Amino acid sequence: MSSVLQNLVNKPYEHGFVTDIESDTAAKGLSEDTIRMISGKKKEPQWLLDFRLKAYQRWLTMTPPQWPNVKYPPIDFQAISYYSAPKAKKKLASMDEVDPELLKTFEKLGVPMNERAKLAGVAVDVIFDSVSVATTYKAKLAEVGIIFCSISEAVHEHPELIKKYLGSVVPIGDNFYAALNSAVFTDGSFCFIPKGVKCPMDLSTYFRINTEESGQFERTLIIAEDGASVSYLEGCTAPKFDTNQLHAAVVELVALDNADIKYSTVQNWYAGDENGVGGIYNFVTKRGLCKGINSRISWTQVETGSAITWKYPSCILRGENSVGEFYSVALTNHYQQADTGTKMIHLGKNTRSKIVAKGISAGHSNNSYRGLVRIAPSATGARNYSQCDSMLIGDQCGANTFPYIQVSNPGAKVEHEASTSKIGEDQLFYFAQRGIGGEEAVSMIINGFCKDVFQQLPMEFAVEATKLLGVKLEGSVG
Amino acid sequence: MMKVADNKFLADLLAGHVPADGGDALGRLRARAVERVGALTVPTTRDEDWRFTDLAPLTRISYQPVRAATALTAADIAPFVLTEAPARLVFVDGIYAPQLSTPASGAVLLSSLAAALPAQSALVENELGRMAAFENNAFTALNTAFVNDGALVLLARGATAAQPLHLLFIATQKEVAGYPRCLVVAAAGSSATVIEDYVALTPDAYLTNAVGEFVLADDARLNHVRVQRESAAGFHIGHTAVSIAHGSRYHGINIGFGARLSRHNVEVVQTAEGGECELGGLAMVDGSQLADTHTTIDHTKPHGASRQQHKCIVGGSARAVFNGRIVVRQGAQLTNSSQSSRNLLLSDRARIDTKPQLEIFADDVKCAHGATVGQLDADEVFYLKSRGLSEATARSLLTYAFGAEILRDIPVASLRQRLEQTVLARTEIA
Repeated sequence: MSSVLQNLVNKPYEHGFVTDIESDTAAKGLSEDTIRMISGKKKEPQWLLDFRLKAYQRWLTMTPPQWPNVKYPPIDFQAISYYSAPKAKKKLASMDEVDPELLKTFEKLGVPMNERAKLAGVAVDVIFDSVSVATTYKAKLAEVGIIFCSISEAVHEHPELIKKYLGSVVPIGDNFYAALNSAVFTDGSFCFIPKGVKCPMDLSTYFRINTEESGQFERTLIIAEDGASVSYLEGCTAPKFDTNQLHAAVVELVALDNADIKYSTVQNWYAGDENGVGGIYNFVTKRGLCKGINSRISWTQVETGSAITWKYPSCILRGENSVGEFYSVALTNHYQQADTGTKMIHLGKNTRSKIVAKGISAGHSNNSYRGLVRIAPSATGARNYSQCDSMLIGDQCGANTFPYIQVSNPGAKVEHEASTSKIGEDQLFYFAQRGIGGEEAVSMIINGFCKDVFQQLPMEFAVEATKLLGVKLEGSVG
Repeated sequence: MMKVADNKFLADLLAGHVPADGGDALGRLRARAVERVGALTVPTTRDEDWRFTDLAPLTRISYQPVRAATALTAADIAPFVLTEAPARLVFVDGIYAPQLSTPASGAVLLSSLAAALPAQSALVENELGRMAAFENNAFTALNTAFVNDGALVLLARGATAAQPLHLLFIATQKEVAGYPRCLVVAAAGSSATVIEDYVALTPDAYLTNAVGEFVLADDARLNHVRVQRESAAGFHIGHTAVSIAHGSRYHGINIGFGARLSRHNVEVVQTAEGGECELGGLAMVDGSQLADTHTTIDHTKPHGASRQQHKCIVGGSARAVFNGRIVVRQGAQLTNSSQSSRNLLLSDRARIDTKPQLEIFADDVKCAHGATVGQLDADEVFYLKSRGLSEATARSLLTYAFGAEILRDIPVASLRQRLEQTVLARTEIA
């Protein structure tokens, strides 16, 4: 059995190719000039430049957070290139004009972008390094009034919305990496669902870092007006490099009265090799604001990649009766480190939240769940249920749970439970009895372990996530 | 700027320090601790370990060392005497009061540390300050810097203490700092019940900075009841360090009712295969009290077992903090650990911060923890009302029952009843 488990981990990273595309990369280093350069390249209005510069000034006064349970050498923020874009020969008019190399890349990644997109029925915005290269289905979405485009485009075409909402959920000085992102973010997706509209299809963004020693700082902003609903998917990959790359994104969600946002992520950034060399530092700030009554924000994440993950998709439950949900599977292997979880801030009356976090650690990895449930004095009748389960594969890895529970209202009810388990010999024996081999058995047990989370994913993503876990843990059966 | 003020607070406390006399073991330990105090600062809410406990009310007062012990009579301490525990050591403001104490000798030794020192110097040198690490803990370092006496319990191999041993610490003076110290060493196969009891005869502000070390050898069994019922204006900082060995069993019950601000660190280390630890805790606070309990159970070897239940009952605008850390080190396979943190909020202004924390580095273990925060269950209240109880009685009874689940494990009947009365009296007010 041990050989099964030992071999579980050695499947190579299949997205580790570099696309040979000419890219327009800025010189390394960060200063006000870099920010002016980025802003200038994107022909941004003055108010956005001011926003960036203000964030930069705040960032200069801040220090990287020390509290996460992860270890890494200090990052030299001057050794990173803050802008890298595929060199566009001319303004793209249609999908046919997209660089064929780029299309091939996305084909390899399995991103449905043209005809296949139609079949899959998913509208995709693709972010390559720092710049959005294509958005499909835009016209069809526009018919019902939905705006789905890159955030740079939105800055020009819908400045009033960006002005109103950018930084409203994650303020520029929120934390070290959010401040950095606010200063240098290059692109990302923008999505606006007007009043009463149910988005007819799933929206999706695919992120890819292609250039070595570049950082990716994308910014996503999703607004669902009264009664609107949307399901949004996000996928991430990167090529293999020996150096560590920084990915510091900010995602902001705003849900007004009766709105419903479902945000699903399958994160498979390059995790480094089996000795822990290379890989992405994934330091992401994701936060949703349930601003209106009866609004709902649901985060689902499958975290399998990145050398280091530092990510806490959160919900601020301000509207009465609003609902926050967090479903997470975090898998770490080799020398990966993950410190991930959620924050549920209950401010409104009768707000409810549910947390289901599943951590799987293998190899020499370290997997931590860190969560906060805060019930403010105003949140009468608030309700939270949290469940965190860890599974350890091998005796060299670690699984930690740090749930912070802060309650200031006696009318609230908060429950938290956690357990730790392993794949038992008896379970494998049971499978073997029924003619199911070790590897398949392990895969089935893990899928069962993660079922509560996978059920929350949209169909195609659930299939992908199941496969991804298989890929991550598969190996030859000994 | 803050840092200077911090150091000043510690330096002022140290100013009353009696210089280390000679090069004996205690002197060397004190000298080391004095050095550490110089290097450390008072923790602030920026320290993760003190995030929810602001020590500002404590550090605002300047405390004097005890100049002269208050002379108490037997009548003064009568309310605290336990009939089941004739063997007793009494400390007034941290200073040993021989006229009130009834030490014991022989296989079950109960004595002041200073009195036993000539005969037990090797053991004291080996054990004192070993478990209660003060390298990074300013308060433990301070206590150690002042250590020249304390309570010593020595259980010889296979010895059984037929009756509980009572260590009574009484605070009597305004704005003084007392440094109680306990050392309990249980040799192989021995067993005993030790009651560590902090009480006050003054309504004023004072500081109790207590450290207790409990060393269990193979197959030793120790029941340890620690009761903190300081005055409502008092400050209590406590540190309990326990080591358990092969087949030994430590059962600790920590009760915190008193003090304006209290902090209790409990650290249990399983040093050999197959030790067992059970921790019960009850913190009941109201008014503007703050009770902070930090526990760590560290399983370093295989086959360990631990069970923990901590409860907080919080009323008024009081706050309770609980941080329960369970560590399973690499190689500590087949550890079986469970932890539950249950909290009852009785008022709109009360607040709970709880963090049951698991750190696991072994794959073949069973660990579970749970935490709940809420008010009394409406169904339960309704059930009692349907049996003819008034709303107030029903609530009082349910609150009492919530706390009594911890108290019922206290093996000394008179103490248990007294504490139950306290809980009942408080629930009726609330």
